[in-house]
Amino acid sequence: MKANRLCTLVVFISTAFLSGCWSNQELPDLALVSAIGIDKTEDGQYMNTVQVINPGNVAGESRQGTGGTESPPVSTYMEKGNNMVQIQRQVSKKVSRRLYYAHTNLLVIGEKLVREEGLKNIFDALERDNEFRTNATVVIAQESTASELVKTLTPIDQVPAEKIVNTLKVTERMWGENLNVAIRDVLPDLVSSGKEPVISCFSMYGDAATGETLESIQETKPKARMMASGLGVFKDGKLVDIVQGDMSKGVIWALDEIKSTLVSVDWKEKQEAVVYEVIRQKTDVGAEVNKDGKGKITIDISVEGDIGETAVPISLKNPSILYDVEDKVEKKIKDNIQSSVKKAQDLQTDIFGFGDAIHQSNPKVWKEWEKEWDDVYFPELEINVTVDAFIRRTGLRNEPFLSSID
Amino acid sequence: MEKAKINASQLFVLIFLFELGSALLVSLGLSAKQDAWIAILLGMVAGMVLFFVYLSLYNYYPDILPTEYMQKIVGRFFGKFLACLYIVYFMYIAARVLRDFGELLVTFAYNETPLFIINAVLFLAIVYTVRKGIEVMARTGEILFVVLYFLAIVGFILVVVSGLIEINNLKPVLEEGMGTVLKTVITETWYVPFGEIIVFTMIFPYVNKPRKIKVACLSALALSGINITITTAISISVLGVDLVSRSQFPLLNTIQAIQVAEFLERLDVFFMVGLIMAGFFKISIYFYAAVTGLSNVFNTKETSKLVYPLGFVVLFSSMTIASSYSEHIREGLQFVPLYMHLPFQVIIPSLLLLIAFIKNRKKKKGVHQK
Repeated sequence: MKANRLCTLVVFISTAFLSGCWSNQELPDLALVSAIGIDKTEDGQYMNTVQVINPGNVAGESRQGTGGTESPPVSTYMEKGNNMVQIQRQVSKKVSRRLYYAHTNLLVIGEKLVREEGLKNIFDALERDNEFRTNATVVIAQESTASELVKTLTPIDQVPAEKIVNTLKVTERMWGENLNVAIRDVLPDLVSSGKEPVISCFSMYGDAATGETLESIQETKPKARMMASGLGVFKDGKLVDIVQGDMSKGVIWALDEIKSTLVSVDWKEKQEAVVYEVIRQKTDVGAEVNKDGKGKITIDISVEGDIGETAVPISLKNPSILYDVEDKVEKKIKDNIQSSVKKAQDLQTDIFGFGDAIHQSNPKVWKEWEKEWDDVYFPELEINVTVDAFIRRTGLRNEPFLSSID
Repeated sequence: MEKAKINASQLFVLIFLFELGSALLVSLGLSAKQDAWIAILLGMVAGMVLFFVYLSLYNYYPDILPTEYMQKIVGRFFGKFLACLYIVYFMYIAARVLRDFGELLVTFAYNETPLFIINAVLFLAIVYTVRKGIEVMARTGEILFVVLYFLAIVGFILVVVSGLIEINNLKPVLEEGMGTVLKTVITETWYVPFGEIIVFTMIFPYVNKPRKIKVACLSALALSGINITITTAISISVLGVDLVSRSQFPLLNTIQAIQVAEFLERLDVFFMVGLIMAGFFKISIYFYAAVTGLSNVFNTKETSKLVYPLGFVVLFSSMTIASSYSEHIREGLQFVPLYMHLPFQVIIPSLLLLIAFIKNRKKKKGVHQK
């Protein structure tokens, strides 16, 4: 009985001391990091820029007064060093609170760094740390530095990191030239010899130098702005090219990542006269190895969509006209994909994961090919694209009003 | 032996929780790469075969503990010696599993808390439960089984709904051939977690309806085996085989990947709650087996008095068995299966069964001749 009581006592005492108060961190002691930017300095070190949220200035209520606030919603700190963890700790010399990375949702990497050195040295610390989340988005600062991107203030979304992540999400869903790529998605591609990563790029336009000041966002047209610009193509962890426009859309088609987009097709003389809105699509990639030992990739796409606009007086009531449009759409998507694949083959980097497809369908062949996949076998692949497009509806009108005008 | 009875469904629940214990925590059978799930499934079948060895032994001596029938089979001295080895084995594995879970908590959540504190708090609850006896453990199991299953189902649905599953990650099936898979089965998945059911031979005598033991055990092995297989297959298909093999706690990463509708995310606590529950039972059962075994061998009157001293031994050895987590895992993958699991789970029970078979046949013959 005595032992029993003693035991109970010990339990009670320990609950008092151990209920989560060990190395506790109160919210006011933490500095929430929203974004990290990584650049390379002239002397070969890494320069990290961390974007820390100023809690008082992002809370909705205080902003609803007259005019803007006196201080910006985020502050940035820069520090350089030879490895990531050291830099993150060194920043403590400049910040009064402990940097807290659990809510970091953006990692910006400077173009110079990824071109010269590649991604390989960056991710280990981020992946190993138990606080940082690998579902943070990665972007590349095209033609600028990561620190510029991280420092730039933005309207609408007060926290600039949110702006970049949300822009990517929206444009991925609406337009399909960019991808919202998380660190988690990049790592397997870096490791796999049958797929290379692609990462979206962001660039600055306007007057980049003024982006850090509040005045920049006090205009309807901020002086410094950021936009999603292209898709960075990697080889062996290094950036080799940035594809833009239709070229990057083709890549995303082949990756089966198109959520929605437009396909504008020519009609007779008029360029891009009929606009087809993609509602949903499915891309299947099949791989096989021919008897003569050459790889063959088949990409099958089926697309469903509506007509969004027509600039020529064609009768959309007439199914056979719709079939014509479908044919044109199919051809356009097909050309799109083929030129993107051609481009990747010229660059000798398999961003589509065709290697993985071969690995999965012909593991034995893959064993021989794996070493020289990107340089020898991938560029020689035979690519077969088939697109099946369907026009389901034509919006609220059938005939365009153009056909009533004589 | 304490005076206690559990029923077959409680046995089922205990085995289920026990099997899931550390099997969900660390990566299992990853030597077979993306075929790990096949290795686990085959390990389950092999484990069932082992179970029949244990069951036949039990059928020869249904009323007494293994520590006692060992003495009947190989003689008093050798039997006691063997029983002591088994007790040490159970305690060592209890310490190992405790270390596993302590390391999980320190690595993932409580970086600055000393491992000893975490282990001690965890183990305090276990010591208390074991002191209360097998009936209490079984009833706790019944409650937590429901909770664990609920968590598992919700987790499963969320992973599926988030669209994370990439079945292609499981291909190509049998890339390295069946040989690699079988090797993995023989060196890894056979023992952990399926062969570990040997610890339940210490609990069989408490079951009120001995005839139902077979059904309860086989179905618990099957259910837990299938669950572990599904979990492993999901982890590989979500993370890819490379990340699973590099990850200390693959399931944790899988759960972290869940993102549903922008708000259902960061469900790590889910994982923690579920795992700690299963781990709690794994350690408890090993520890309970060690305690009853010891009390049986040395004929102590009150089993529960042994709980505290043995508890300290397990707690301290959980700290001292390895100086780092890497060392701990290395031991667990290279040393333990070969020098501990293989003899204690396979060789000794098979030999015991053989001797028991011969002895009992003689006896029967004797009866007939009379």
